[in-house]
Amino acid sequence: MQTMKNLSIKKQIKNLALKGALVLGLLVGQACQDALQEDVISQIGSDYLNTQKGLDDAISAAYSTVRAWYGTERGNNFTEFGTDIYTNGADGSWKFMNTYTNQFDSNNGHVRELWDELYRGINTCNAVIERAPDIPGVSEAVKTQRIAEAKFIRAHHYFLMVQLFGPVELRLEETKVPTKEVSRAPESEIYAAIIQDLSQAIPGLEAKKASSQFGRATRAAAEHLLGRVYVTKGTSTSKASDDFAKAEPLFKNVIANYGLKLLDDFGQVHAFGNEINDEVIWSVQYTRSPLTNGGGNNSHVFFLMEYDTQPGMQRDTENGRPFKRYRPTVYAMETVFQNRENDSRYKKSYKDTYKSNKPGTYNTTFDNSKAKLTFAAGDTTMFLPGYNMTAAERASKPYQVLIPSAYTEKLFPALTKHLDPGRVDRTQFEGGRDYIAMRLADTYLLLAEAQFRQGKIAEATSTINVIRRRAAWPGKETAMEITASDMTFDFLMEERARELTGEQTRWLDLKRWGNLIERVKKYNPQAAPNIKDFHVLRPIPQNQIDRAEGGASSFPQNPGY
Amino acid sequence: MLKKFYTYLTVVLLLVFTASFVQAQDTQVSGTILDETGMPLPGVSILLKGTTRGTTTDLDGKYSIAAPADGVLVFSFIGYNNIEETVGSRSKIDLTLTPDVSNLDEVVVVGYGTQKKSQLTGAISSVGNKEIQELPITDARQALQGRAAGVDVVQPGSKPGSAPQVRIRGRRSFNASNEPLYVIDGIPTVGGLEDINPQDITSMEVLKDASATAIYGSRGSNGVVLITTKRGGAGKTTVSLDSYYGASYELGRIEVFDGPAFAEYKRESRRATGAYPEGPATAEADAKLFEPIELESISLGRSTDYVAGLMQNGNIQSHQVGVSGGNDKTTFFVSGNYFKDLGVIINQDFTRYTFRINLDHKITDKVSIGTSTLFTMSDRNGENFNPIGGALQENPLGKPYDEEGNLIFLPTSDGLRTNPFAEVVPGAQVDETSRTRIFNSIYLNWNITKNLTYRVNFGPDYTVRRNGRFTGSQTNARRGGDATGSVDDRFQFNYTLENILNYSKTFNSVHNLNLTALQSFQKDRFEQTTLDVLGIPAPSQLYHRLGDASQITSANTNLVEWSLLSYMARVNYDYKGKFLLTASARADGSSRFGENNKFGFFPSAALGWNLHQEEFLKNSSFVDQLKFRVSYGSIGNQAITPYQTQALLGRTSYSWDNTAAFGYRPNTIGNPDLRWESSSTFNTGFDFSILKNKIFGSIEYYITNTSDLLAPQPLPNSTGFGGFTTNIGETQNRGIELSLSTLNLERGDFTWSTDMIFTKNQEEIISLPNGDDIAAGRFIGQPLTVFFDLRKIGIWQTAEKDLAASFGDKVGEIKIEDANGDGKINSLDRQILGSAVPDFSFGITNRFAYKGLDVSFFVYGRVGSTIRSQFHNNFNYLFGRYNNLAVDYWTPNNPTNLYPRPNQNQEFPKYNSSMQYFSGTFLKVRNINLGYNFSSTVAKKIGLSSLRLYSSIQNPFIFSEYRKVHKGIDPETFIDGEQGVEGGTINANIAPPVVQYTFGINAKF
Repeated sequence: MQTMKNLSIKKQIKNLALKGALVLGLLVGQACQDALQEDVISQIGSDYLNTQKGLDDAISAAYSTVRAWYGTERGNNFTEFGTDIYTNGADGSWKFMNTYTNQFDSNNGHVRELWDELYRGINTCNAVIERAPDIPGVSEAVKTQRIAEAKFIRAHHYFLMVQLFGPVELRLEETKVPTKEVSRAPESEIYAAIIQDLSQAIPGLEAKKASSQFGRATRAAAEHLLGRVYVTKGTSTSKASDDFAKAEPLFKNVIANYGLKLLDDFGQVHAFGNEINDEVIWSVQYTRSPLTNGGGNNSHVFFLMEYDTQPGMQRDTENGRPFKRYRPTVYAMETVFQNRENDSRYKKSYKDTYKSNKPGTYNTTFDNSKAKLTFAAGDTTMFLPGYNMTAAERASKPYQVLIPSAYTEKLFPALTKHLDPGRVDRTQFEGGRDYIAMRLADTYLLLAEAQFRQGKIAEATSTINVIRRRAAWPGKETAMEITASDMTFDFLMEERARELTGEQTRWLDLKRWGNLIERVKKYNPQAAPNIKDFHVLRPIPQNQIDRAEGGASSFPQNPGY
Repeated sequence: MLKKFYTYLTVVLLLVFTASFVQAQDTQVSGTILDETGMPLPGVSILLKGTTRGTTTDLDGKYSIAAPADGVLVFSFIGYNNIEETVGSRSKIDLTLTPDVSNLDEVVVVGYGTQKKSQLTGAISSVGNKEIQELPITDARQALQGRAAGVDVVQPGSKPGSAPQVRIRGRRSFNASNEPLYVIDGIPTVGGLEDINPQDITSMEVLKDASATAIYGSRGSNGVVLITTKRGGAGKTTVSLDSYYGASYELGRIEVFDGPAFAEYKRESRRATGAYPEGPATAEADAKLFEPIELESISLGRSTDYVAGLMQNGNIQSHQVGVSGGNDKTTFFVSGNYFKDLGVIINQDFTRYTFRINLDHKITDKVSIGTSTLFTMSDRNGENFNPIGGALQENPLGKPYDEEGNLIFLPTSDGLRTNPFAEVVPGAQVDETSRTRIFNSIYLNWNITKNLTYRVNFGPDYTVRRNGRFTGSQTNARRGGDATGSVDDRFQFNYTLENILNYSKTFNSVHNLNLTALQSFQKDRFEQTTLDVLGIPAPSQLYHRLGDASQITSANTNLVEWSLLSYMARVNYDYKGKFLLTASARADGSSRFGENNKFGFFPSAALGWNLHQEEFLKNSSFVDQLKFRVSYGSIGNQAITPYQTQALLGRTSYSWDNTAAFGYRPNTIGNPDLRWESSSTFNTGFDFSILKNKIFGSIEYYITNTSDLLAPQPLPNSTGFGGFTTNIGETQNRGIELSLSTLNLERGDFTWSTDMIFTKNQEEIISLPNGDDIAAGRFIGQPLTVFFDLRKIGIWQTAEKDLAASFGDKVGEIKIEDANGDGKINSLDRQILGSAVPDFSFGITNRFAYKGLDVSFFVYGRVGSTIRSQFHNNFNYLFGRYNNLAVDYWTPNNPTNLYPRPNQNQEFPKYNSSMQYFSGTFLKVRNINLGYNFSSTVAKKIGLSSLRLYSSIQNPFIFSEYRKVHKGIDPETFIDGEQGVEGGTINANIAPPVVQYTFGINAKF
C-alpha cells in the first residue's frame, strides 16, 4: 500500500513538473515578441533620402518625371491636337482632344496621369529642397547644385501646370502626413513661386554648354525657361509691365554665354543619331536599354501616315510604326509652309518619298492615273509632291503620286523629326531618342517675341533673321531674310510653326498669344464647331476634386467642364 | 527565431521522453460500421464521449480508436441515428447504423477539436463526403456552392484551373481580404485550395458566427472552412478506385456580326458621317468604302467565323486509387490522383497530380503521432493568354488562309488586326504555369492523464510556382516584332506551430467541462523572381534560355515576410446536455501593424439550450429536437499586405545620356497607426427536427458590425500620393440563413427527400469619416462596392434632335439621364446603378432513391445583383472598323433604344460605359445526377466489395435576362475583384461556361 501511494505521489509530482514545463514553454513563446518585428528588406525606407546617395537618387527620380510629358502621347495630345497646324488623323482614342467635344472631360486619362506624375515629381523636389541642407557628408557645392536642380524641375512642372490648368495647388513642402486639405492657389502666387525657384536655381547650376552628366539642367536651361515664363506671364492675368524686358537679357545670356550655337543645317537638328548637338539646351533623356528607358520616347509613331498597307510597302523600323494620330492642317501645308523654294524646312520636316521594301506587282490604291504597278526593292512606291500634280503627269510616273487633294486621315505628309529607326524591331513602341525640350532656335524665337512685345521691331527682325538664314536652302539665305516691315506678329506666329512644328509647343504658344480659340476656329475645321472660350484651360482631374476635403467647393473645376 | 524554435523543440522532446513513464490505461477498439443495406459506411465519426478524441471510418467502414474500459463511444454519421456503446472489455465493436433524417447527434469537427452537433453553440454548416463526391469538381470549394447556407461561391467561366471565390455572410472589409480562412487537417493555410484533391476530403465544415470562428481569432473574421481529409482504419486493407470522364461543350457563344451584317454595320458607320449615301447599299459606294478582300467576300457571300475556329470540345477526367488499412498501432490512407481538364478554348488546360499519405501511429497507448502529407504537381496552360478577344474583333470579311492553306497573317489591310488563328499556331503563344506543393500536418498527441491531453501540431507548407511565357513574332502582341519571353518564379514557405492543452471532465455526472488552451505561431516567407526579355533568337527556345535574348526588358526579385503569434483559451460547459456554454478568448499579434498596435484581443461567448430535453417537450410526438442558440463575439482582420505602416520609396529609372540614373522617391506615405480591423457578430439560431425527423433544419439570424476598417483611402494626388491605408468607418452585414431537409415521400423502397438552403445577406456601409466618399466609390447605406456611373435611358431619336443638341449630343447617340436636371451631362450626373451583391441566393437538391437507383438534381439561384459585362464595352465600340457584338443598333429606320448608331469618327460611342450594366439574377440547374449501387452480392460475384456507376450533367441550364435578352452567356461573376477582374464584372477574356456530361465509377476491392 505504502509503495503504491508513493508511486502515485511520484507520478503526481512528475505530472506537475510536466505541466510546469508546458506553461514555461508557453511563456517563453510569449517573450518572443521580436518574432513580430517587421523588417523591410526588399524595399527601401524613406530615411534613405537623408543620405548622400539618397540625395543623388532623389534628384534622378525627380528628373524621371519629365518623361511623363516629353515624347508621350499625352504630352503630344496636349500640345499638337486642337491647334491651327495639326488636326487628327484616322486612329486613336483621343480625337476629342483635337475636336473639343464634351467627351474631353474631367475623367480624361491624360489629364489625370499628367497631374499625378507632375505632383509626384514636385513632392520629390520638395523632399530634396527640405532635406538636402541637413544631409551629412555632402559638400556644399553638391548640395547647392542638387537644390538648384530640384528648384528647376519644380518650377518646370508648375509652369506647365499653370499654363494647362490655371490656378493649381501650390505645394512647396514635402507631404509627410496624409492630408486631404488642398486648394487652388491664385495664378499670381504660382508665377511668383516659379520665378523665385528659377532665380534661385540659376546661380547654383552648371554654367556650361552641357553638364558632364548629359541631361542635367544647366544655367542656360534655367535662363531659357525663366525667359519663357516671363514671356508667358506677360500675356497672362498676372502680367507685369516689365515681364518682356526681364525676359530679353535671359535669352541673350543663353545665346551668348555658354557656347551653344545653331547647327548649320536645319535637317541635322533632329537627325537620327544626332540627339546631342550644339543647339540642344536641355533634352529629356531616353535610352536603348529597357531597364532605363521607362515608357520610352513614343513620338516616333504619332505623326506618320499609313504607308505600310500601300502597294510595295510593309512596315519597317526605317519608316516607322504609323499610328496616324496627327495630320497637318491645310493651313499648315498651304500657308505656313508655302515657301519651299527658299525655305528648306518643309522638305526637311516631312517625308515625301517611300521606297519599296516589299517588291511585287500591285493594283494601285489612291492614284487612279494607272491601274497596276510593279516595284523592285528600293523603287519609289509613293511620292508626295506637295501640290496637285495633273493626272496626266502622274500617269507617267512608275509610282503612286499622293497629291494634296487625295490626302485623307490616313494619308498625309508625315513628320520625320521623331522617326526612330534605332528601335530593336518595327513593333517596339518605346523609342530611345532623347526628346529635345529646349533648343537654341526656340531661344531666338522667344527673344524675338520678347523684343516684338516691347516694340523693338528692328531687334526682333534681326533676331528672327538668324533663324531664317539657317533654314534657307544653300544660296537662298538672303532671300529668306525679312525686313522690319515684314515683322508682324502673324509672321512671328507662322515662323514658330515652321521652325518648331511637332515639338510640343504649339498649343501653349496659342494659349500664350491669347488667340487659341480664334485660330482654331479659323484653321482647324474638325475642332472649329466645338471649341469654346473655356477651352483655354484643361479640366482638373475629377479624382483630385472628389478626393479633396470639401470636394468641388474647396477645389473647384475649371468653368465649362 | 532560432531560439524560439529550440524552445519548442525542447518542450516537444521533453514530452516525448517522459511519455514512456506514463502507464497505459486505454485499449484499442476496432470494428466495421455498415449502413442499413449492409454496405460499409465510410466517414462515420467515432468520438470517445466526454473527450475530444475521435476518428472516422475509412472507405471500408472500418475504424480503430483507443478507449478506456469505462469509456463510451459515440458513433455518428450525417443522416443516421447515433449509437452510443460502452467499451467494457471488448476490443471489437461492429455496428449497423440506421438512417435518421435528423442529424443533430452528428459529431462535427470544430476548431481545435470535435463536438457533438447537439452540443454546438455556434453557427456551423457541414458538407459531407457524399456532396463532395457527387459532383465532378476541380476545386473543393465548388462543393460548397448552394450547399451551405450563408456561403456564397462563384465561379465565372470555365477556364481550367481557375479558382472559385468564396464569401461567407457577405463582405465586411474594403481592402483587407474577405477571403475565408481554410484550415486543412488543423493547419491554417495561406493561399487557396486549388492544390487539394477534392476526392481526398471526407468533410468540410464552415464556421460562420463569432463563437465558432473566434478561436481562429484574427483570421476568422471572414469565416473558417475546416477541411478534413480521409484517414485509414485498422483491419483489412482496402483498395478503392474512383474514376470519371466527362465531355465539355461551351454553353453559349458571344455573337458578333457575320460578313453581311458586318458590311452593313460598316456602311452605317459611314452613313452617320455622310461618307456613305443614305438608302440601300450600292456597288459603287461599296467600291469606295471596302477594300478588295472585303468586296470579294461580299460578292462571294464569304464570311469567316473566327471564334468558332478557336473553340474545341473539352473534357474533364479524374482517376483515383486509394489504399487504406493498418493495424492496432498504425493506420494509413494513401491515394494517388490524376486530374485533367481540357478547356473549350484551344490552348487552355489544367493537369494535376496529387499524392497523399495520411499516417497515424501509436508510440505508446498514450502517445501517438501522425501526419497528413500532400504532394501536388500541376500544369496549367493559358492562365493569362486567351485568343478569343482578338477573334471577336476580327473583320469577318477577311480571308484567314490562302489557296494553298497557308495562314494569312493580315487577313485585311488593317494593321492592328492580325489573324486570330495565328495565336494558336503551335509555339506561337506559350503560357505555362506549373505548381508544386508539399503540405504537411504533423501532430503529436499525448494523453497526459485521463482528462488532460497535450497536442503539438506542426504544419510546414512549401509551394513553388513558375509561370513561363513566350510570345512569338507572328502574334497580335508582336505583329511581326521580335519574340518576347518571361519567367515568374515564386517560392513560398509557410509554417504553423501550435501547442494545445485540453482538459475534459464530468463533475457529479451532470456538469461537463472542457477547457482548451492554445499557443500558436505562424510565419510566412514569399520570394519572387521575374525576368522579361525581348528578342529571343530562335522560337524553339521558348522561355528556356532568356539570357540569349537581345534585350532584358525587366528583371527583379522580391521578398515579403509576415508572422503571427497567438494565444487562445476556450471553455465548453454543459449541464446535463441541456444548457450549453462556450466562451473563448484569443490574443493575436501581427507583424503587419505598428509597434503599439501589434496585438488584438478577441473574446466571444455563446449559450445553447436543448429545449427538447425539457420536461414540457420530452414526450412531444411532434418535436423531436429543438435547440436555441445565441452568441456574441468579436474577431479581427489583419489581411492587408505587409509593410503598410512604413513610408517607403519607389524606384524610378532615368539616365544621363546612356549612363543609368536610377532613382528613389517617396512612394508610400505609410501609416504607423494602423491597427486591427474588428468585427462583432451577434448570432442567434434554432436547430429543429419534427415529425419523427421527417423535417429538420436550422434558422440563423445574425448581425455583424465591422469597425476600424482597413481601407485604402484615396488622397488628392496633388499631395504627391494617391492614397494610403488607414482604419476608417463601419460596415454591417445582417442576414437570415435557412437550411431545411425534408423527407417528402417514403413508400416501400422509394424515397424522395429535399435539401434546401436560403441565404439573405444585407451588406451595408454604416459610417464613413466624411460621409459619402465618391473618390473611393463608397456610399453610406449601400453595399461595400457599387456601380457608380451615368445611367443610359435610351438613344436620342430623330424627333429629339434639338433636345439632344442642348446636351451636346446628336441623334442616334446614347441618351443619358440628366440626374441633377442642370441641362448638362457631366460627372455630377453619375448615380448608383446597383451592386454585384445579390439580395438573396438559394440552393435546392432533390433526391429520389429506389432500391439501388438514385437520382438527384441541384438547382442554384442568385437574385438581385447588378453586373458589368466587359463584352458590351470592349467589343461594342460601334465605329465600323473592328467586328462588334451583334447588337441592335440605331439607324434612322430602326429607332431602337438599345444601342447607338455606328459612327466611323468615334473610337467608341460617347458614354459607352453606360451600355454595360445588366441584371445579374439567374437560376441554374447545376447538376443532374443518376447513379446505381450494385448490391453487395452482385459486387462480390465480380470480385468487388462494392460498386457504383453514375452519370451526371453539369450546368445544363441557365435562366437569366442577361443570357436571354442581351446574348450574354453566364451572369455569374466574382463579387470582389480578383484575378485581374473588377468585382461584379464579366471578364471579356473569360472562357465560356460549359455543360459537362460525365460518367463515373466507384469501386472497392
